[in-house]
This record gives sequence, C-alpha cells and structure tokens, in this order.
Amino acid sequence: MATANCWRCLGRPSTHRLLAPSSLTSFKAPTSVAAFTTSATLLAKDDNSFSMKGHVRTGKRLVLGKKKKGRGDRSKPPGPGERKAFRKRIQLSNDNALKVSGLPELEAQKLVDPAAVGQIVSLPTDLVDQLRTVEAFKPTQNWGLFRSPHMLVRKDTVDFLGDLTKRVGNKETVRTVIGGERGVGKSMLGLQTMAAGFMNKMVVINIPEAQDLVEARTDYSPIPRTTPEQFSHPSYILKLMQAIRSANEEILSKEIVKLEHIHLPVSVSRNSSLASLANATKEPEFAWPIFNALWQELLQPGRPPIMFTLDGLSHIMRISDYRSPSFNLIHSHDLALIRLFVEALGGKTHFPNGAAIVGVTTKGNSLKVKSMDKALEQAAADQAGLPIPERDAFYAKYDERVFEALKGVKVFDVKSISKPEARSLMEYWAASGVLRMRVDEKTVSERWTLAGNGVLGELERASLYVSRL
Amino acid sequence: MSSMRTSFRCLRDIRPTGGKAAGAQWHPTSEASLAYRPKQPFNATRSIATSAPRSAETTEIIPSDVEPADQGRASVVQVPYARAVPVSPSYFSRKPIFNDAFVVVQDLARKYARLPIIPKDKVTPTAWRTKEQYRLAVGEHAKGRDYATCMKLAKRLNQIHPDLMPDEVKAGLLPFKREVNYYLNQPKVQPIDQYGRSHGVGKRKSSVARAWVVEGAGEVLVNGKPLSEAFGRVHDRESAVWGMKLTERLDKYNVWAMVSGGGTTGQAEALALAIAKALCVHEPALKNPLRRAGCITRDPRKVERKKHGHVKARKMPTWVKR
Repeated sequence: MATANCWRCLGRPSTHRLLAPSSLTSFKAPTSVAAFTTSATLLAKDDNSFSMKGHVRTGKRLVLGKKKKGRGDRSKPPGPGERKAFRKRIQLSNDNALKVSGLPELEAQKLVDPAAVGQIVSLPTDLVDQLRTVEAFKPTQNWGLFRSPHMLVRKDTVDFLGDLTKRVGNKETVRTVIGGERGVGKSMLGLQTMAAGFMNKMVVINIPEAQDLVEARTDYSPIPRTTPEQFSHPSYILKLMQAIRSANEEILSKEIVKLEHIHLPVSVSRNSSLASLANATKEPEFAWPIFNALWQELLQPGRPPIMFTLDGLSHIMRISDYRSPSFNLIHSHDLALIRLFVEALGGKTHFPNGAAIVGVTTKGNSLKVKSMDKALEQAAADQAGLPIPERDAFYAKYDERVFEALKGVKVFDVKSISKPEARSLMEYWAASGVLRMRVDEKTVSERWTLAGNGVLGELERASLYVSRL
Repeated sequence: MSSMRTSFRCLRDIRPTGGKAAGAQWHPTSEASLAYRPKQPFNATRSIATSAPRSAETTEIIPSDVEPADQGRASVVQVPYARAVPVSPSYFSRKPIFNDAFVVVQDLARKYARLPIIPKDKVTPTAWRTKEQYRLAVGEHAKGRDYATCMKLAKRLNQIHPDLMPDEVKAGLLPFKREVNYYLNQPKVQPIDQYGRSHGVGKRKSSVARAWVVEGAGEVLVNGKPLSEAFGRVHDRESAVWGMKLTERLDKYNVWAMVSGGGTTGQAEALALAIAKALCVHEPALKNPLRRAGCITRDPRKVERKKHGHVKARKMPTWVKR
C-alpha cells in the first residue's frame, strides 16, 4: 500500500525546507523550549525554589485519576507553521505506488474528443509544472497516492471544454461559473480547464483560493487616485505575477510590449517581452501598477487569448474582512484584483482576442451568499430558456454588485460520473495498488451507489480513504 | 404410569351406565340406599339412589331444584339426598382433565395404530400447546414427563393419513393443539403497483423508513437526496443498502425512500429493513437470504425509560455521606 509520506525520509515535513533561511532566523525563539510546555525538563528546573514546591506532604499526596502531571509528551512540538505546511502540502508523486503503464498522455485533442470519454490520461511533465506553478492542484485531491498524476476525461470535461475551446478559438469571451454538488469534481474541472488553456496556448491566470484575498490574511494597501477607493494585495499580486510569468513563459516571452508605460515606477522598454514586464519588479509596492500594465498589454489585439480562473467564487461575493482607512469594511469588489476578475466575469471588460473567464464554486468551504445563489439561479434559468425566478421580495440584503458581476454568465453544472467512467477510474486505482479488491461490474455498481449515484469525491472516499494515511 | 392407568380403567369399569333423562352422572335409585336416610325430609322430586357399597364413601348432596308444591305427591318416590358421582372417573386425582385427555389419546393410539401414516415432513404443520401453555389453559399442573409421553402419542396420531383421519382422533387431539394454528397464517400479499413499485416499511430505534423499490440501475434517493448526502458516514450508507448488496441486487433496482425520526444510524438501519421488505415483494425467494443478512427481523431494542430515584435508566445518584 502506498503511503503519503516518503518512507526514505524519516524527518517530519517541516517549513524548514520551504522557508528561506533569512525568514527562518527572524522568528526563532530565544529559548529552544516552547513557552507553555508541560514537559518534565521544565518542571525539574523548579526544584530549587521553595515557593513552587507545593504542600509539605507532597510525597504522600494521593493522586487519583489517570492524569498525572509530568507525564506529557516529551518530544518537541512542531514548529510554527509546520502543521499547516503538512496539511497544505501538495505531493504529486509517490514512489511507493505501483506504476501504471500503457495509459495515453494528455493532448489538447483528448480533452475535447467525445471518444476519449472514460479514459485515464497521464499529465505530461511540462504541463504538471505549469499547473503546479499556478496552483491548480489542491491539497484535498489525492495526487499523493499515485505514482504520477493521471486524470479521468469525463463527459462533463469534454462537453465543457469542447464548447469553451471552440468559442475562444472564434475570439469570443466565455464567461462561465462551474457549479455542482459537493465533491463532484468542480475544482478538478477547473484544473482540466487550465490544462486545456495551457495546451491551447492561452495565458492562464489562476486565483487558487479566493478566500485568501478577502479574509484579511494578506497585506493590502490603498491604490492612490482611485474612486471609489480601491485596494491591492501587494505581496499576493507579486506572487501571482511571478506565477503567471513562469507558467506562461513560452507565450509571454514571444510577445513584445506595445504600449507606453511612462507612469510605471520601473522603466519598461518598448521592445522587451511581456515576460520581462512581468518580471520587472521584486518590490511588492510596485506589484499592482505592473500587474495592471501587464493586463492592459494582454488586452491589446493580436495577443493570445486569456484564461482567468478563480476557485471559491462565493468568497468574493461578499463584503471582505479588510477595513478602509475610515475603518469601514471594504466590499470584495473594491479589492483591485477581485475587481479585475469580476469585471471580466460580468462582461464589462472587452477581450479582443477571446477569453475564458471561469469561476469555480465550492460546496465544502463556502458561504451562503443569497445574492449569488439567486443570480446563478436566474442565469441557469435564462440559459435553459425557463422563466427567470424572481428575487425574494422579503429579503432586503441582496447585493446589487453581485448581480452585476454575474450578469449573463453561463452556469455549468458538473454531474456525477457514469458507471463506465467509475469503472475505468477504479481500474486505475486497482492498478496503482491503492484499491485492493476485484474490479468487476458488481463492485463498481456497489461503489457507485454508495458514492451517492456516482459523486466522484464520495467514490474516492468510499474506496480510497481506508488506505489513506 | 401403567399402574395409574389400570386404576383409572378400573374406575371406569365400575362406572354406572344407567343414566336416562336424569343425567348420566346420577346412579339409578335403590331402596336400600333410601333406607339409610330416614331423618331427612322428603322434598326431592326425583328418587335417586346409589349402589350400596359406594354409598358410604360418596358425599351426600341436596339437590337444589326442590319445589314445595311436589311435596305431597305420593306417586313419586322422593329421595332426600343423592350421592353425586363425578363425570370424570379421575375426578379424585389431582389433574382430572389432563388424565382424561391422556386416556383418550392412549385409547385412540391403540385403536388406530394400524392406520397408514405419512412422513413427518409431509404433515400439515400443527401448533401444539407446550407444556406451559397446556397447564395455563387447563389450570392443572400436568407433569412434564406425562405430558411428553402424551404428546408423543398425539403426534403419532397426527401423522395418520389425512384422508383416513377419523373424526374422533381429530376431536381427541384438540385439547393439545393451540387455538390458532399460526403455521397456517398467510402473510398479506403486498402488491406491486402499476408503475412497478413495491413498498416496504422498516423501523429501528425511533426511526421509521419507507422505501419504494423499482427495477432500475442502482440509484438510491433518500429524502430526495443521494445516499452520500443523506448519510455522511460510509458505514451508514453501506448498512442502508446492505440487503441489496448481499443479495447482489444493488445494480438491479432503484430505491426511493423517506426516513424520519432518530439519528443517522437508526435511520440507516430502518432503511435496510424497509428496502429488504420491498425487495421481498419483487422476489419472495430472497426472504431467507435477507433474513440471514439480518435485514428482516426488527431489532426491538429501544432507549430504556428513566426511572425515578435513578439518574438515568439504571444509574444511581452518587452516594453522599451526609
């Protein structure tokens, strides 16, 4: 059976390997022992002080119950951030898993070919690097159980991406929200969309977790001379820009800067590439102007089409946890990066080269945003040609900006997988050594039913979680 | 036992046979017996006497239906007292009803020993009274050993070929049969409706589940939700469809169910019962496998009620010294 941890490396996964050495020294505690430890070494130190000794008859005191002091865990507690790093790590290969040979490699055609439905395809290494750079892989997905990343081409993939690539090829703008039940594969479809974007030479921009932008986790600063006042996330945008540059280097290095950027704090020459524009600064304070310049360059005619995806749509459809200088809460749509996405999704931005703007909803980590639900309901009804449902007349808190942001979007509902698809997936699991049972019609239909009529995440849960460490 | 039998037979042999309109239990009048009771007033309407040797032993009772108008009638021999002889010869034993029935069975067994019998498994199942049930019904403490011997004979008699079964055997075995032969109970046939659905109800703890099963491809909807949404635990999902899984019918039927009450475990197991019952309507032959899978029998356990003086059902308050 495959374990998620590498057996050869006995050390605990820690931030020491992730963080730069300079940052490591900065928050190093003065003592090597954590402040609130109950370990025996600390207790032993107090032996000399009379006041801490307790009662005179300490030795004869009757101690009842199982819990006795001083018997705590003597091992060192994990350092700051170590637990989170362990939780959020993304492991894309596992040497202990069996190698599955004979599966085809993913090509752009495979994602739109109806004949490929139900196939398991391997992701080419370059694509894996690109997807990893834009953080398309999620910690909740079980990539670490397998030797190398593979994925299932399902009917929804072909339906969605076939339509998307065709329309983007005609220089149209595709504005879609991916919806569906919990664990049905929405983020995975987002990943497949990005894969299609990379393979069709689109500039892929991805915001992997929308909640990072609104929950006041990252630094923000007001953008001067904006009405209404807008705010940017300097470090986040810098990181995002570097991700865009390294993931799309092949395309961006071929494109030459066309506009004059005289207002920029760094000098950008006319003949430099967009890749060098994206790489122009390492300063967080210049991140937003340069990102904006890059965005303007990409909107020029003759550029490659843009794919802008965001996961966790409901998080950006509310008032954020950030505060303005006057201590009012900032609406998410006043955060510049989110505003960029929302305007693109709402159809306010004109894309002359075609674009795919995809918002992925989540069900696991999501808020109840009534405005968004109603807007998506109306969009779905509009799409199906049904009468558009009215807003609830007794709900006063509808957010007009949310309706504005989702005006005219298409809603794509991800469905559960069929039994043949489930079968090919289970056969792949069995070949990888993580599913130790016979895969026949009986077991497939059993798991399919137990997984709520083919909900992919539940299928994994019912089959793989017994072997997950 | 045999000695007892002999004694009963003797009792029967000396039993008088002279009963006419007056009733079989009364012996015919004799002058000698009358002479024994001169002091008694002549107020009896009928002249009844018992035989001389027994007159000393039997109790003397005064008949109650005395009419004063008849006192002066000279033609009627009026007997003040009659010795009552009990109906049953085993009246003076401690269990007359059982003994009589036993004797009848013994006689019948001897009488019809040569009638052809059929094998035990071909006999229509009969609900015999158990020893305890018989005791309760008759109100006598029949001995276990005697009852077992009697039942052995009775079962042998019951094996007589049904075409040749004499009526008196039927009558003789009747006291040992339960009033209702539950083996002959016919379960109510549940119909499959016009859309091909069958309906089953299951209960567990305080949950009630109703399931409609129809031929299909294995889709399950519980309260309008797929199984994964209805039950968070995989274990509960498995127990809900356990019967179908074990009988390999999971991919052959669709289930539409409604569950209410109780918690998730109770709901899942109530659903298992409901689905199994509905499945039996489609395929009655599955009942035994389903019973072995534990999906037919209702688990009767419920939350035990709280008692006064207790903290919970059984828990007692902590002992306090003062």
